[in-house]
Amino acid sequence: MDPVAVTAFFQTLVQGLLTGGLYALIGTGLSLIFGVMKVINFAHGDFLAIGMFISLALFKTFNIDPYLSLLVAAPAGFALGYVLQRFVLTRLGDRLGEGSMLATLGLGLIISNTLLLGFGAQPQSINVPYASSTFSFAGVQVSISLLIAGLGTLAVIAGLNLLLYRTELGRAIRATAQNPLGAELQGVKTANIQAIVFGLGVAFAAIAGVLLMPLLYAFPTVGENYTTKAFIVTVLGGLGNLPGALVGGLVLGVIESLGAFYVNNNYRDAYGLVAFLLVLLLRPEGLFGKTVKRV
Amino acid sequence: MRKFVLFTLSMALAAGAQAQGTIKIGAITSVTGRFAEFGKMQLAGFKVGVAEVNRKGGIGGRKIELVIEDNASDVNKGLAAAERLVNAGVPLVINEYSSSLVKAQAQYLARQKVPNLVVTSSGDDITQPGSEYTFRLNQPATEYARVILSIFRDKKFKTMAVIAGTGAFEKSVADAAQTLAKQYGITIVEDQRYDKGLTDFRPVLNRIKAKNPDGLLMVSYAEDSVALMRQAREVGVKPRLFAGGAAGFALPEFIKDSGSAAENVITATAWIPQLRYPGVQKLNVELKKALGGADPSYHAAQAYAGVIVAAEAISRAGSTDREKVKAALNSLNMQTAFGPIQFKDFDGFRNQNPLAMVAQQVQGGKFVPVYPKSVVPQPIKFER
Repeated sequence: MDPVAVTAFFQTLVQGLLTGGLYALIGTGLSLIFGVMKVINFAHGDFLAIGMFISLALFKTFNIDPYLSLLVAAPAGFALGYVLQRFVLTRLGDRLGEGSMLATLGLGLIISNTLLLGFGAQPQSINVPYASSTFSFAGVQVSISLLIAGLGTLAVIAGLNLLLYRTELGRAIRATAQNPLGAELQGVKTANIQAIVFGLGVAFAAIAGVLLMPLLYAFPTVGENYTTKAFIVTVLGGLGNLPGALVGGLVLGVIESLGAFYVNNNYRDAYGLVAFLLVLLLRPEGLFGKTVKRV
Repeated sequence: MRKFVLFTLSMALAAGAQAQGTIKIGAITSVTGRFAEFGKMQLAGFKVGVAEVNRKGGIGGRKIELVIEDNASDVNKGLAAAERLVNAGVPLVINEYSSSLVKAQAQYLARQKVPNLVVTSSGDDITQPGSEYTFRLNQPATEYARVILSIFRDKKFKTMAVIAGTGAFEKSVADAAQTLAKQYGITIVEDQRYDKGLTDFRPVLNRIKAKNPDGLLMVSYAEDSVALMRQAREVGVKPRLFAGGAAGFALPEFIKDSGSAAENVITATAWIPQLRYPGVQKLNVELKKALGGADPSYHAAQAYAGVIVAAEAISRAGSTDREKVKAALNSLNMQTAFGPIQFKDFDGFRNQNPLAMVAQQVQGGKFVPVYPKSVVPQPIKFER
């Protein structure tokens, strides 16, 4: 094969994987929340937008590097999620399902319109010196920011796994996911655990938003697109299945990149959606079905 | 909406106009929404234009006042804005930025028999075939492509690639580039269109990189331009020249937000302060003042020209009657700081001002003129 074509293939593949890593991070948050509380969070993309705007505001006012703003955005996301779950979503009681769907949809609208009021609708970006810096590996150019985003995703997901499987809190989370009533009877404060889980999910979305900021631009409704992506990712991997979300994200990123490269860029979003439909039709429980242990 | 009423009021007050006896002219722009960056420029242009007309005594002793409606960068809200202006009885509507929005409004205004003076939107199909009520003082999309392709031809480029959005304006420029490339003997090796909201251009850029064209023409709105150039540098596409089809590439924010990625990018533009029309320098200074010290883009100059031309047409018509204003626009032949204005029918265009574009290049973090000869061009710097 022509060496130029081979390099182009690998470059597209690597970029697809790294973009997919970000999708995975977004999807993991969504999947975690669903896995534990069976809440379908339609505000997920908007939580990502919050992360972006926190980063943007800190950069514009104090000239703080976007990666440093993680220190603010992640805890802020966690706190927001915790409070929302504790004081808003739990009030829906047992009518979860449609109730939580509508509630999160409403929350999303409130968030995007608040951002609109505060920041205006025009897209805004930040210019950092490393925004387009790359390093080259065997002729394949890799974006530093994209690589950081990919590595950041891995770190967060690895951290989550440690938390879930190596700590007492993780045990409580898994117990709550499996059987809330049973967990409660064993002395687990499930309301608190659920709030923590929602906080984690929102924090993940916010982290993804911050990681996107050096690469992209922010506008109040930027979240819509990512809510859709998050759903595709989680359905690909199986709702509530965390390793599945990771693989689902990578698969989506690669499908989109290769599709846009080899077929036609115009239908980029369609490739992911076609994969999504195929999985729904052929394996409604996700690519990995029940073979992977659920959280 | 109250904000805009206040805005018009304060503008009228600033001009020292009395509430009674002012002539109200309609104007639509994107005060909010994704085109707000352009809207900001246009509001500054409107302000300078109104101030100048009123300073010179208004129209027959009556001050003018702009009734500015916001389209919120949305087709339906733009139509609603046009409807409000038609119902307010304005003699004409100065129309704005996005071709997708203007096209819908132009059809509506033509049906309502209201003269529509387009100042920035450049999709060819707005005046081609156009209507008897639609007048455009700025250059159509074909000209955006022509200035870039002329440079490619003069520099003996053999191949080029195109990346363009699917909006009316981007499509128009990209289609014109297709036609012109054939005429100029340049092969288009890749022509990729993308939908609004796409944020990852890497696969497309990889494709283009593999074809290694001499020139790359990109047609996109504000923030996409930044994302495109950042990712082009990242992917390592290296044509001899990166070229932007105005719009996002011609904004001062393009340089500010893309930093070093913007270096050596050439872009078509409709107006620069280096043009040699009477009053250009003065206009530049006033626009800068209206923008609080920021550099104006061509959108501001076009909005300014819109007010001047509208005032002249009403003045010649001697009336605010829409038919008389339309007749006055038809016979207009005047010089403005934006350029000469005369509405002509040619090459399938109707009521179109024939005006050429200029090209500028980012050199050392600043726009410098590079084409044509009349702007005292600097030598073009190539990527390779």
